[in-house]
Amino acid sequence: MARVKFLCDVDRCIDCSGCVVACKEGNHVPVGVNRRRVITLDQGKPGEKSISVSCMHCADAPCIAVCPVDAIYQRADGIVLVNKKTCIGCGYCFMACPFGAPQFPKGNVFGARGAMDKCTFCAGGPEEDFSAEEKHLYGQNRIAEGKVPLCAGMCATKALLAGDADIVADVYRERVFQRGSGVNAWGWSKAYKE
Amino acid sequence: MTNSLNDIRHAKSMIFIGSNAPEAHPISMQHILYAKEKNNAPIIVVDPRRTKLAAKGTDYVRIRPGTDAAFMLGLINAIVTNGWEDKEFIRTRVSGYEEMVAVAKDYTPEEVENITGIPASETLRIAELLANNRPTSLTWCMGGTQHHIGSSITRTFCILQLVLGNMGKSGGGTNIFRGHDNVQGATDMGILADTLPAYYGLAEGSWKHWCKVWDVDYEWIAGRFKSKEDMSKPGFTLARWYEGVLGEEKIYQDTPIKALVQWGCGSNSNSQYTRVKRAYDKLDLLVIVDPFPTMAAVACETDNVYLLPSASQYETSGSVSSTSRQIQWRNKVVDPVHNCKDDYQIMELLVKKLGFAEPFYKNIKQLPEDITRELGKGSLTIGYNGQTPERIKLHMENWHTFDVDTLQAIGGPCDGEYYGLPWPCWTEEHPGTPILYDVSKSVAKGGLPFRNRFGDEMKYEASGRVENQLAAKGVCNPGSEVEGGYSEFKDVVPGTNWKTDLSQKTIKDAIARGMAPFGNARARCVVWNFPDQVPIHREPLHTPRPDLIAKYPTFKDKPDHFRVDTRFESEQKPDLVKEFPYVITTGRMVEHMGAGAETRSNQYLAELQPEMYAEINPRLANDLGIRDGSMMTVESPEGAKITVKAFHTERVDEKTIFLPYHFAGILQGKSYADKYPEGTAPYVVGEVGNAVTNYGYDIITQIQATKDGLCKIAKA
Amino acid sequence: MQRLVHSVFLLTLFLVAGIATVASAQEGGALAGVAAGSSADYFHNLIGVVTGNWQEYGQLFTFLQGEWFWKIFLAIITVVPTVFFLHYMIIGAKHFDHDGPQIYFFSLYARIVHFVAAISFSLLVVTGLMIIFGSFLGGGSLIRLARYTHLVSAIVFALPCVMMFMMWLKDMLPQLHDIKWMFILGGYLSKKKVPVPAAKFNAGQKMYFWFAIFGGGVMAFTGYIIWGMGADIETVRLLTIIHNVLGMGIVAFYLTHVYMSVFAIAGSLESIKTGYKPKEEVDILHSLHKYE
Repeated sequence: MARVKFLCDVDRCIDCSGCVVACKEGNHVPVGVNRRRVITLDQGKPGEKSISVSCMHCADAPCIAVCPVDAIYQRADGIVLVNKKTCIGCGYCFMACPFGAPQFPKGNVFGARGAMDKCTFCAGGPEEDFSAEEKHLYGQNRIAEGKVPLCAGMCATKALLAGDADIVADVYRERVFQRGSGVNAWGWSKAYKE
Repeated sequence: MTNSLNDIRHAKSMIFIGSNAPEAHPISMQHILYAKEKNNAPIIVVDPRRTKLAAKGTDYVRIRPGTDAAFMLGLINAIVTNGWEDKEFIRTRVSGYEEMVAVAKDYTPEEVENITGIPASETLRIAELLANNRPTSLTWCMGGTQHHIGSSITRTFCILQLVLGNMGKSGGGTNIFRGHDNVQGATDMGILADTLPAYYGLAEGSWKHWCKVWDVDYEWIAGRFKSKEDMSKPGFTLARWYEGVLGEEKIYQDTPIKALVQWGCGSNSNSQYTRVKRAYDKLDLLVIVDPFPTMAAVACETDNVYLLPSASQYETSGSVSSTSRQIQWRNKVVDPVHNCKDDYQIMELLVKKLGFAEPFYKNIKQLPEDITRELGKGSLTIGYNGQTPERIKLHMENWHTFDVDTLQAIGGPCDGEYYGLPWPCWTEEHPGTPILYDVSKSVAKGGLPFRNRFGDEMKYEASGRVENQLAAKGVCNPGSEVEGGYSEFKDVVPGTNWKTDLSQKTIKDAIARGMAPFGNARARCVVWNFPDQVPIHREPLHTPRPDLIAKYPTFKDKPDHFRVDTRFESEQKPDLVKEFPYVITTGRMVEHMGAGAETRSNQYLAELQPEMYAEINPRLANDLGIRDGSMMTVESPEGAKITVKAFHTERVDEKTIFLPYHFAGILQGKSYADKYPEGTAPYVVGEVGNAVTNYGYDIITQIQATKDGLCKIAKA
Repeated sequence: MQRLVHSVFLLTLFLVAGIATVASAQEGGALAGVAAGSSADYFHNLIGVVTGNWQEYGQLFTFLQGEWFWKIFLAIITVVPTVFFLHYMIIGAKHFDHDGPQIYFFSLYARIVHFVAAISFSLLVVTGLMIIFGSFLGGGSLIRLARYTHLVSAIVFALPCVMMFMMWLKDMLPQLHDIKWMFILGGYLSKKKVPVPAAKFNAGQKMYFWFAIFGGGVMAFTGYIIWGMGADIETVRLLTIIHNVLGMGIVAFYLTHVYMSVFAIAGSLESIKTGYKPKEEVDILHSLHKYE
């Protein structure tokens, strides 16, 4: 089975936060919890670039390694999910994650972190597919519906790609290949004009 | 837009002036970036700010606000000097060219540098870039129009495209991205102060035409006005309606405005908002129809305010026009929730109460389809007659059969038609016109020449030259009976022309003969009915360069300009810059929309942009001791003063302050947040940026000059 | 008295240094000065902006927490009791005559303080271990409860911790004879009742005291930051490593203390309840302790 991946094409990302809002609206994520964020570097300067970041669904996910209660698990298709009923909110996954993906809503005991919340690749959680409980705890299960995650589906410029890693890589490779072509390609004017 | 968003995919270069597409039109970026990647097309961004579009662009040119016309004329001059103009296109399809070049030749690269701040070498480089990468898609937005010479600036954009021969070509054209959903449709329907629907104007003939469409007696309509003179007199504009209330300027109307209905209008996009607020307080009646209470609803402190909650777009259906002139059908998703009603219901109740429901709904039995039918029947000028509700719905249902590149359906029930039947769509068989003024296709297949609107011949004041305004011999759409220019069609049905012949015989006849109903003429570089026949640069009213006023002065004051006196010359004070040394410009951010009543009421968007701020260059800020994230004041020459958070960024240069205009709820430090009806206050309130935008209005359209005012700032 | 001043000074220095580390780390994580050259640089900068330099402590933390911490803890809680079990079997407990003369060793105040400390400290150890071995216990609400208890116990423990520090500081200051005590391991390796060099508290108790006080301070500080994520992520990672490593030592000392008080010296549990120790015990195990 193919493994799923996200890829954000930084040459296409326009920092519109459409992915962020789509994710929050679609999954009813509480304010303050960011399953996805857009990061901009060199804002307002030459070379400004933006990238949309969320859980990368790592092949060898550090969060799974550090979880003391084994609440985080990986599906066969590579999607990393958390079981919110098992999670104790210790925050170790956040410390292990290189992307700042795990998020913690405020719990109600001593300001403790609630169960970890993160990007589910719109694949719900361990509960039964399309159950009310799954929707309540994790949001939509678009993968079970055969759809791409909301963020990628909503991306205006198709900067954010999601799906089978091989296909995503092919799409991106084709784009990169095309970018050097056309009349402004390096050497074009020498070869055809002068 | 002469072309469509999708057609930008064919551009070999793109130039954006006063347009920040990633923030204002994020969806358009997919086509823009496609052209950049696929065609290796340079994206040239001309803007006072290094915008998010500049981040995606290949070439960024920082321009002083309000000097766009000078840069454009400089480009034209550079192109003509180097012989890069499209000589054949100009010979056959452009008029007044020599007169225009005579004006443009004064804008040497050095002079352009002096006016705009753009290095002379950059002007030449950009000119060469445009010349070598044709066709160019040119886009402007409010950054190009909201100036006191906005109408001249936009004309220079068009003339540049004519000189480069980029009009009527796929990948070229002037593509003005419309700022709101269905704003193209709203404009087409005549929300302007000086025209009936479909740009018919206000002349008696126009009224008679529409009375025929509505099937009501013209005399009855006329009887509802005070006089026939009033009927044909342009009204107050959105930019200055409040002058009709306040009585502080001389107005040309018998009584001041006493009642105001704002239907889907976020009022804080009005400049000089402190005056707008005073006008609200003076009104006898204020009615606000909106899904969310607007700033007007709280800023008006009398109890003569009525809020009518209207349905959102998801709670109603009907036809809408996109920026690409495509008509689409919107379906209802849910019934109106809570106590709101959709716009049709509100209008119906209002009309019934006012007692003219019978004539009003004469042609409208089925909502909203009959509305689309009725407006299509009358809107012949822009060819709205071919888009019947049935055809529009068919397009929506067969969305997947249209090609993303050409917008043309391949097979299926809409085979050969262009998506959304972009107007003009002359007949019910016409496929729509995807690109305006494209003579490579026959008119029946969506081609068009330039419109013949201003006579067949003209003698120019400047040169004394007489020029034929019709297209040159040999230039016409394929299959045209007349091989060259021809006048507009009239008297096919006696007493009518193509615009007023409701039987549409004139239009059908013309198309059958392979010709455009509106004739085949040249595009004008000289507009003899405008104050500047050839557009020129004029310094902003409130200019940071008073030394340029002598050479580029503004216009004489204009009395009775949309019923109110408008100051130009008397407002251009050279000393103003001493007290107000910084340029203030406004614009959008991607998270909020328009006046922001809707987006500030969305918790997630509010979370992303929770605060009003002013962009300030770190160097300027540090010189003035304004720390990043601390509060600063911005004060306008009109005396308004706001306190906002300073945001250090090099997006703006050291002389410019940028304000987003989406925030409302606080005006000059006074919060109105508690005045919202219970449970309707937006998550985010902030200072109204437009409180400090300056006086200044376009000489033709009276659009407000929000992009090039002056201000002073201080640490708060 | 001079020693007291020194100790307090050292403790303060340590805490200040810790806070300074956190503060400086927080400043360092800002967006400043990221000029992207190559795309590798760009992504390096990006990751830096997103979650700091992961390869510095993130990788280390992941490695330690994923692979080692639980194993080490498991070793401690199995090996240490095993050693003591063998000790108990081979050497056995020390018995002293509880019917003979008694020495009033612990005041009521000391006993109450110690009691509160004992309960909360035990809870801290137990709940801490529950969190570490959460996966064996199935996670969920039980371990969540353990976390909350861990926090409450920590807050409760802070008070007696400070009191014990004030109360026993003088008696706990290291002395020369402690080295001798160390050499003979307090005489616990022999069954003979030979007076060992120790005053009111022996070197083992002193070590435990200082470990509990200093270690407790560090644990409280690191725990507080970890609980609220009150620093930048790099610092939190480092503090979590410290919290765990120090925890290992504390668990080991805790087990020792429990063994000593419950098994190794018969009746010492009584002493902390009543405040009296047999004169014989004091003479042997705290031979340098002066009593009236």
